Amino acid sequence: MILRLAAEAMGTRFELVLSGEGQPLLRSAGEAALEAVREEHRRLSVFEPGSLLSRVNAEAASRAVPVDQDLFDLLTLCRGVWESSGGAFDPAVGALMRRWGHRDQPHASDLGAGGGFESVVLDDRAMTVRFAHPSVALDLGAVAKGYALDRAAEIVRGVGLRAALLHGGTSSIVAIGAPPECDGWRVGLGGHAGPAAAQLVLRDVAVSVSAPSGRVSASGAGHIMDPRTGAPASEADEAVAIGRSGALADAWSTALVVLGRRPDTMPPELGSAVRTGSAWVVSSSMRSTFFRAAARPQSGV
Amino acid sequence: MGQAAAAAMGMTLLPSAVAAFDFSRAPARIGVIGLGRQGRDILGELAKFEGVEVTAVCDVDAKRLEAGVRRTRAAEGFASHQAMLAKASLFDAVCIATPTHVHRQVAEDAIAAGTHVYCEAPLAHTVEDAAAIALAARGSGKVFQAGLDARSNPVYTLARSFFRSDAVRDLVGVHAQHHRKTSWRFPASDPSREAEMNWRLDPAVSLGLAGEWGTHQFDTVHWFTGRYPKSVRGVGSIRLHDDGREVADTIACQLVYENGAVMMYDATLANSYGGRFETLFGTNAAIKLAETHAWMFKEADAPTQGWEVYANRQQFHNDEGITLIAGATKLANQGKLREGVGLPNPPLYYALGDFLKSVTEGADVACSAEEGYRSTVVGIRAAEAVASGEEVQIAESDLRVG
Repeated sequence: MILRLAAEAMGTRFELVLSGEGQPLLRSAGEAALEAVREEHRRLSVFEPGSLLSRVNAEAASRAVPVDQDLFDLLTLCRGVWESSGGAFDPAVGALMRRWGHRDQPHASDLGAGGGFESVVLDDRAMTVRFAHPSVALDLGAVAKGYALDRAAEIVRGVGLRAALLHGGTSSIVAIGAPPECDGWRVGLGGHAGPAAAQLVLRDVAVSVSAPSGRVSASGAGHIMDPRTGAPASEADEAVAIGRSGALADAWSTALVVLGRRPDTMPPELGSAVRTGSAWVVSSSMRSTFFRAAARPQSGV
Repeated sequence: MGQAAAAAMGMTLLPSAVAAFDFSRAPARIGVIGLGRQGRDILGELAKFEGVEVTAVCDVDAKRLEAGVRRTRAAEGFASHQAMLAKASLFDAVCIATPTHVHRQVAEDAIAAGTHVYCEAPLAHTVEDAAAIALAARGSGKVFQAGLDARSNPVYTLARSFFRSDAVRDLVGVHAQHHRKTSWRFPASDPSREAEMNWRLDPAVSLGLAGEWGTHQFDTVHWFTGRYPKSVRGVGSIRLHDDGREVADTIACQLVYENGAVMMYDATLANSYGGRFETLFGTNAAIKLAETHAWMFKEADAPTQGWEVYANRQQFHNDEGITLIAGATKLANQGKLREGVGLPNPPLYYALGDFLKSVTEGADVACSAEEGYRSTVVGIRAAEAVASGEEVQIAESDLRVG
């Protein structure tokens, strides 16, 4: 049977589609997975004044803030993508988000320079986070959904379920196995204002789709910042990253939109597809997954 | 007179600003026993306290233990509470978040090990076990706090001050509920642990919704009114989760007080509308308590105080509530009164903060073992009423320990 469950978190709707036997197990697994998503919302949301991340942002400019292993590992993952993408992905983008109207009122320190991840000091031995500049603010909006889905998928797999599709806001996806008698979970790309422009067939992968036009501020500024210029990203219209980890896929889809292309430093095990106008550039590692609209019959869950 | 100044003047009788917890001058090391949902919530809140380190965690489930360790900085993990308490030098205090029916064993062992204890509520699933815990705590010379977090909640403390003044006047009745659409079933990574993980659905040990959820809300009313019910009736049924369970997924209770006032309490796993709240109705006003928020709804003929003119208000259909804001004086002086609507942290944060203040500074305990015992007894009696369909009496002697 197929069971769908949903919950609101991180400003969007998370949905789980679970396939298996036994409604009680499916429901309990889905509820536990969604609770994991909510837990990450409570920990990582900059919109929650009581979140762990809000506390880090409030204190790390004054002192080294100790954090737990999970958060430190997430920040370390972010540091890796920041380095490999040449700064195109930068989780210390909070000040920019405020400046462009995507968060609360700008702070006076937001206008200063030196507020990117280069000013975030991670002490691997002490497991602390410190900001070397007062205008630094961590904002994990570009990686949190994928990270939360990784936690949720861990729970679903952990109880033995072999087929599930988990997504946050339809743009961050983790696919486990395949639905009965299918080769994978079929997901359309785009299609908000018409037929899907392309289709993905997903099996045991994580996918993230980023588009500058996905969310705009009151002033019309896109929500994906180019940390290198301090302005909204404009090199590409849409980007897809695919890999084993939702967090990595999320971070890299953001970096791809900023860069407008796949960089040589992107890990080879991650697939990519970048669209500018109607033209897609698809990496070789993704060609078995990515189909343009005319290539395969469209069907979905 | 400026608006902020007027509001501040009106608010000067109210409790001081919401306490900020900082234990950096008196650090504390904590062990957490039980890493299910509540245990993880405890870890999440402890992580916010400066100067507090979780140095030990314990769970009999290997996956939960592994996940719990990762939510600390370098805590040592233990598969049994006995093994953890054998290394009691690792921590100053423990938080117990195991299944209710094993609280007694863990609490008694923790007290015997000489550590301070925060024990989740209900304290136990039987009156005998709850009494044993309270007696052990009484003689320990250490801090014991029952996890009834309303007593540490800053907006509830503020609301209680209004309740105990003439603002609400005579109690008419109480309506409380806890609605949350969830199965209350937890998946086990090891099928052999399925029954153990789902103790809430085991009629042999579970107090059901009346005990597990109701105890907390009954305690809020006890704390506000200083009264305990003399009898309780209850009904329960399965409204959604018809999966073979016997424990009701929907209940309704009627708790009757000596002065004739009645609390109507309902709880369900089948619908989320309204969430969790307690409303105390008085002849001058009603007070509604909803975890991080509280409001006062005044009768049209109730006397008005000057500060109310500038008070923050919220409309609920035909009713207008005055928002009760903790720390309003300080916030008003800073021109940030609006930002104070709602607590920034969940109630558990403040309960743990109070516990740590008791441990590190010798502050009075927010909810003693005896207070926890009394509310647990009411929860147990309510559960009996739901299970039997009969009226259950609550004698004064039931509420005394030893």
